[in-house]
Amino acid sequence: MKILIGISSKKYSEPTLDVGMRIARTLKSSTTILDVGQKINEFSYKDVSLANELMESWDLDRPGVDVLEWAYNYLKKKNYIEKNSSEPGFSKNLLVDKGNGRSEVFLKGIILQNLSLILRNGDIIEELRDEVHSFNYDLAIIGGSGKRSMAHDLIQYIDSSIFVVNNFNQKQKYRILLAVDDSPGTSKAVKLGVRVAQAFNIEVDLITITNEKEISDKYHNASSRAEKMMRRSGVKSKVKFIKGELVNTLVEVAGDNHIIIMGTSSQSPLSKFFLGSKPLDVMESCNCPMLIVK
Amino acid sequence: MLGFSERSLTTILFWVTRKKWLILSFLLSISFFYIPSPEGLSPEGHRTLIIVLVALSLIISETIPLPAVAILILIMEVVLGVDTADGVASSFMSDAVFFIMGSLMLAVSIVHQGLDKRLALLVINITGNKTWRIVMGFVTISALLSSFIGEHTVGAMMLPVALALIRNAGLDTGKATKLSSVLLFSIAYGCAIGSIGTPSGGGRNVIMIGYLAEFGMAEISYLDWMKMAYPMLLLEIPIVGIILWRTFTPSQKIMDSSVRKLKVQVAKTGKLNANQLMAIGIFILVFIGWIFFSPIIGLGIVALSGVFLYLSFGLIDWKEINRNTNWGVILLFGSAISLGIQMRETGAALWVAEQTLTYLEIIFQDVEIVRWFVSVIVTGLLTNLLSNAATVAVLGPIVLDMGGDPIITGIMTSIASAFAYLTVVASPTCMIIHSTGLITSADYFKAGWKLFIISVFLLLIISLFYWPLLSL
Repeated sequence: MKILIGISSKKYSEPTLDVGMRIARTLKSSTTILDVGQKINEFSYKDVSLANELMESWDLDRPGVDVLEWAYNYLKKKNYIEKNSSEPGFSKNLLVDKGNGRSEVFLKGIILQNLSLILRNGDIIEELRDEVHSFNYDLAIIGGSGKRSMAHDLIQYIDSSIFVVNNFNQKQKYRILLAVDDSPGTSKAVKLGVRVAQAFNIEVDLITITNEKEISDKYHNASSRAEKMMRRSGVKSKVKFIKGELVNTLVEVAGDNHIIIMGTSSQSPLSKFFLGSKPLDVMESCNCPMLIVK
Repeated sequence: MLGFSERSLTTILFWVTRKKWLILSFLLSISFFYIPSPEGLSPEGHRTLIIVLVALSLIISETIPLPAVAILILIMEVVLGVDTADGVASSFMSDAVFFIMGSLMLAVSIVHQGLDKRLALLVINITGNKTWRIVMGFVTISALLSSFIGEHTVGAMMLPVALALIRNAGLDTGKATKLSSVLLFSIAYGCAIGSIGTPSGGGRNVIMIGYLAEFGMAEISYLDWMKMAYPMLLLEIPIVGIILWRTFTPSQKIMDSSVRKLKVQVAKTGKLNANQLMAIGIFILVFIGWIFFSPIIGLGIVALSGVFLYLSFGLIDWKEINRNTNWGVILLFGSAISLGIQMRETGAALWVAEQTLTYLEIIFQDVEIVRWFVSVIVTGLLTNLLSNAATVAVLGPIVLDMGGDPIITGIMTSIASAFAYLTVVASPTCMIIHSTGLITSADYFKAGWKLFIISVFLLLIISLFYWPLLSL
């Protein structure tokens, strides 16, 4: 499994990094931390790159490398990277141009084979989308603060699952709120939900919300399958059936102490573009982290 | 659906959302094409204005790459029947484009000589360790150098000096402080005011000189330009320094250890080597060539002669020049100048000028004020939205068709296009300092609006009281 963690600044990216690395550790996945720097106007990008080249001769790092260095040190401090490595790991002034506006910090040491630190410059949505499409990530993890429109666009236009780390409080005890129905997306959501629950060592609420007067068998069956999977994986779960409208009810139940997990909508891209979709609506109104599984 | 896979459909929808300005421009241009030409505007002029609108919206929105905008302008000029392919080709290349190409190549050649450390030493030796003196030194050196070498070169060379001082002061170079703001803006604004001083300060000055000559209005020499614009540059230096210091007064009033560390760092590089001396010598030759030979052979050819010398003496590899020259910008300015010439030849510029005069005269009651308003205020505002050279390329033919003394109007427009204080996209140096992540878009307004207003008034005073004293 390949995970992409998108960070933007030292100030706001700590929860995103924390969530991303917990999941990456549980899944033993190959992880890329990506910082998308300022978009450089086309009139000036050669001038900026000339200035950046000169900065290297002054032993000054390119803008953005400091954010990646901070991320690297944070991972070390939180033991996501082994401390006893004899190698220094992060190399100052060693940014390798990978082409296509993409540069990678050269990391020393065998233990760092599964970690890449990448710097890009440009429009954040286009750069994240290009990174996901070019390198086939399975899961993209991004921050949620003040960037609902960015998350909205990414959910619509990228192929990987997306975790929007919205209002994540590292001290809060969360539960997972996993939306279950009979759609094909649910089984994928349950599989990843198990791993997220294991990563955070938390319990899962399997919630089925429907407008039906009598909850039909298809929902009961889907819920039982999900519960069985949780039990087999050693994750504690509770089953809930609620009558009501999906989006508002889910947002209300989630409050700010759940991590919502939903499968992606099975609507066509055109219909999602013009009419929206339930996962998009939930993401726009919820006040907690949310994972949409594709 | 329609034979598209879900992924292809998503890609198409993504493209549509990202390229909405392109689609909108296309639809608008078709609509305008079918609207009857307004009275007094020829069909060719009408179509030229459609191209101007499309080009402006695409440049501002950055929805497609700049070279693509450049190519689109050329295609539209021919397809819409504004001119023949040969006519467009001949208006595409001019001495102004040679100059822009030459000055971008000279920038690469100079930056690669490692003269930035010499420059740092020069600044520090003049200013000493007091922060306000360092700020004044940054503004002065940036302004004086950029008036000859061009702002993008000076901006690129001064940036590491400022960042090294910030780092040596024990501050995080990734965290914005008042010290970082004042030092970085002193480079950007210093370069902006410097670029007005001589024709070689910026491509837009040469574009204006090119228009004046092409339209048979005036021939301006390098020294004539300096006589008109350099006093304003010199007056602006203390103004910029004081405004920046008052807006971003840092807590570090003395940078003793920072300056000492910088001197140690620079001392390691040793004395000027032969290549650096030769590089400086060639630039002095270019400068002399601009003063004495440009009236005969053109500013662009002089700049290209300098590039020829740098390449011939092995001071720079062609690969480096090729890699670091922004060919897209050269293409765009070639197209923009071609469009400017078509605006003049088809009467589109005259029509826009007359309409502007008619409507604005109702508000201002005086044609002189209208002319000043468009040359200075409209140019100053547009330069902050577009880019300074593109602004002059598009507005130049219009303001020159508004009557009055073309030299006064032309130089006033060129100078106002340097009032690029308010946005990131206004000039290359604004973008260079923004790329550090230490300057936000909002920061440009903090000191920028004060400088904009003062510069407008200063230009007014100089054009009213100083320029009439010159016998040009």
